[in-house]
Amino acid sequence: MTPSGGWVGKILRIDLTTRKISELSTFEYVPQFLGGRGLGAKICWDEVPPEVSAFDSENRLIFATGPLQGTLAPTSGRFVVVGKSPQSAPVESFTRSGVGGHFAPELKWAGYDAIIVQGKASQPVYLWISDQKAQILDAQQLWGLDTYQTQQMIWKIHGNKTRVMTIGKAGENRSRIACILTDTGDASGQGGFGGVMGSKNLKAIAVRGTGSVDVAKPQELMKITHNIQTLFSRKSVKGNPYEAEEKGFKYNIWGGGYGRGSLSLLPGELLDLCNEPSSGYSQNPDGCFACPVSCRSRVKGPDITNGVAFCAQSYMYLESMIHEPEKGYSKVTWQAAKLADLVGINAYELMAIIPWLSDCYRAGLLSEEETGLPLKEIGSWRFILTLLNKIANREGFGDLLAEGGQRAATKIGGKAEELSFIYYPRAGKFGGFREHWIFLGGFPTGYAVPPLALMWVLDNRDAMVSHSYVSMLWGAASTIGQDALTAVPENIFPLLKPVMKAVYGSEEAAEFFGPDGKSLNWNWTAPVVKRYHEHSLLKDSYIVCDILFPYIFNANSLDHVGDLSLESRLYSAVTGIDMCLEESFQKGEMLCTLERALAVRDGRTRQDDVLHSLYLEKEDAGGRKYLGEDLERSKSEYYGLMGWDVESGVPTRSTLERLGLKDVAEGLELKS
Amino acid sequence: MPIEVDRRTVLWGFAFGAFRLGSIVAFGDLLSAPAFANGQKVPLAKVVILVDKTLCSGCRTCEMACANFNTSGQNSSSHARVFVEKECLKGNYQPKVCYQCADPPCLKACPVGALQVDRLRGTYARIIDEKICIGCQECIKACQQYFRPPRSMFDLQKEKSFKCHLCFGDPQCVKFCPLGALQVARSEKGFLVGYPVIKED
Repeated sequence: MTPSGGWVGKILRIDLTTRKISELSTFEYVPQFLGGRGLGAKICWDEVPPEVSAFDSENRLIFATGPLQGTLAPTSGRFVVVGKSPQSAPVESFTRSGVGGHFAPELKWAGYDAIIVQGKASQPVYLWISDQKAQILDAQQLWGLDTYQTQQMIWKIHGNKTRVMTIGKAGENRSRIACILTDTGDASGQGGFGGVMGSKNLKAIAVRGTGSVDVAKPQELMKITHNIQTLFSRKSVKGNPYEAEEKGFKYNIWGGGYGRGSLSLLPGELLDLCNEPSSGYSQNPDGCFACPVSCRSRVKGPDITNGVAFCAQSYMYLESMIHEPEKGYSKVTWQAAKLADLVGINAYELMAIIPWLSDCYRAGLLSEEETGLPLKEIGSWRFILTLLNKIANREGFGDLLAEGGQRAATKIGGKAEELSFIYYPRAGKFGGFREHWIFLGGFPTGYAVPPLALMWVLDNRDAMVSHSYVSMLWGAASTIGQDALTAVPENIFPLLKPVMKAVYGSEEAAEFFGPDGKSLNWNWTAPVVKRYHEHSLLKDSYIVCDILFPYIFNANSLDHVGDLSLESRLYSAVTGIDMCLEESFQKGEMLCTLERALAVRDGRTRQDDVLHSLYLEKEDAGGRKYLGEDLERSKSEYYGLMGWDVESGVPTRSTLERLGLKDVAEGLELKS
Repeated sequence: MPIEVDRRTVLWGFAFGAFRLGSIVAFGDLLSAPAFANGQKVPLAKVVILVDKTLCSGCRTCEMACANFNTSGQNSSSHARVFVEKECLKGNYQPKVCYQCADPPCLKACPVGALQVDRLRGTYARIIDEKICIGCQECIKACQQYFRPPRSMFDLQKEKSFKCHLCFGDPQCVKFCPLGALQVARSEKGFLVGYPVIKED
């Protein structure tokens, strides 16, 4: 079926070495690969062979939007950055990183579905894209500026409706944990693509578009959008749309356990100041483009850096709350996150590096003299300022840390490396990403939930970034009045049963452990994770928000069953292409297999899908363990379900052909 | 046409003018203004969109709802009749809506009478009749004297002006604003808002 909306039809290719700018048709890739993560994966498959390293000029830096971007479709402000990741460790491999904000719609309105950047400029440049035109412009004046200043300079030149993706000092110095930032806090963090951008001497990409994205069925889109807003939004739109919010309504993000404006959850000095009108501080919910929820906080104050922040940034410097407990979430906590934004360091990675440094210092493995860091006062402003500047400038010990926590730990070796395992759970050749909900409630104090372990071994970055499954667990816990961090799992089983039945096909999937309370129940793990991956690939390829979609758990209904069809209905309304739910899952499966093929081509096998033994040895809060043999059995089952070879974890030829990936099958065989 | 300002209008004026945005102000002693040279008066709009910028999260759903509804599905900020002006680094977001001015400069500037008052729908919105519009952009220039960006815009493809027409009485931007920063107010007596009550924003 020919699409009659959604994609704008062109992909921009920029070769910085030859300064050649060309275009290719998006329809060489879509609708088969949808957009975003799927589109990026296919371009990487076609253009980035395994021997190309992340900082090689031949690596591609791909900014890919999906069919929904630039339309009314809720949360359509997102896009993904894909390419070979310098953060993936020890082997650099393909990964993706999602970004919110307002850059993606501007790119679509300028006439492009995606940008492929290749080559390396001989001196600093930035890219200026406006209405079907692209130019490579000199950026020597911008080089060395922080991310805010860079944007201000570009706004001066191209007007303040221009949206900019830019790197800071860290990216310029090819840090493997550098982010690419847009506006005041939306960034492509995980993956370290800021370093890739710096390696290409590309300081920023500025976009302004006045065109439009055609929607095939505009009325249908309004209907679904309205429907989604009633599910997520604070304003009651039942009956009179102008009525104020309904009492007792729960925002359906994190299963109702979370709402607008993340700062309001963080009591302390800063929030107190914001709540005091005469202080000059304020905080408001802030939304990405077309978002019905606005989960982030926009914070202003006379002596802090203004900007938006959400989970990763908000929680980045919790050490400051231990350092000065009486202040709680303080101005220092905030300013630390903003400083990371200004110099362009991925805040999420700092959440591993800082506690690891602290552990090493306490174990006597690192000293203040050796590192040049005030390790005695972790949590203070002086510490974070020194640390971030050293990392950004690759100065002294910061040079090592700019390689990412895992690489730094490996280099130091010995006990320091062992201490890093708790923060970097995946062993094997494809780790490098910080722990993220491997236990319900966090490691090591939370609860073992078998699918979380399987998700972790299989992903090509941190696994829980598709929040759907964890949101459901969290939502169930908060519905019965428990804190997600201290939830007692057996109490949430009854709530989860109808939800799991609807989403994963079985009520049993809701029971993570047997009636004896001692042994984990791995029975439904593989099918659950397969469906989770399909969801995850789809939402990153249509591109909707991680936190809202797929909509699994409804905090406001009695049975709590969500609605999985929302994304595919949005897709159909925007593109005019029919997509039933079952068909969409097959597409998700295909894209997941394509990503696996990319990893396999970089050398990933079953042996790399493992956790550090620490994660298998530790009992959870209920005395249960992820047993190695259970995990291995689940892996086999998962590979079997996906049609991958059980021994090696490699997608088989027949599977690839069945999924319409014949060229991928041939490419993989060529390799082996 | 006799014009009275009811109590409610004045209250709206206080609530939204003094304490919130300053978008909507109503003062009873400015009643003489709305008139053409020939003495004909422009009736006040009976429906207006009110803005509370302190609630705005800057998501721009309003822009998309407007563009999607008022074109044949061309989703774009540049087709929207409402826009959110953002100073990102300062953290100031300001939704800009058409005030449906009491004494509309756009309407008075139109040389061909394409700008009319929507009596048919009962909103008394200031609307552009596309069939009559000759694309001279006088309405845009007139609006621009007071309000930036102008609330009347030019469609390069059609070569006609377009502006907010309150979606036939059910403004979609208001309906889709997820936070309730935009609200609609209705009064049979009409609202004394926009120019000349406020002369810039």
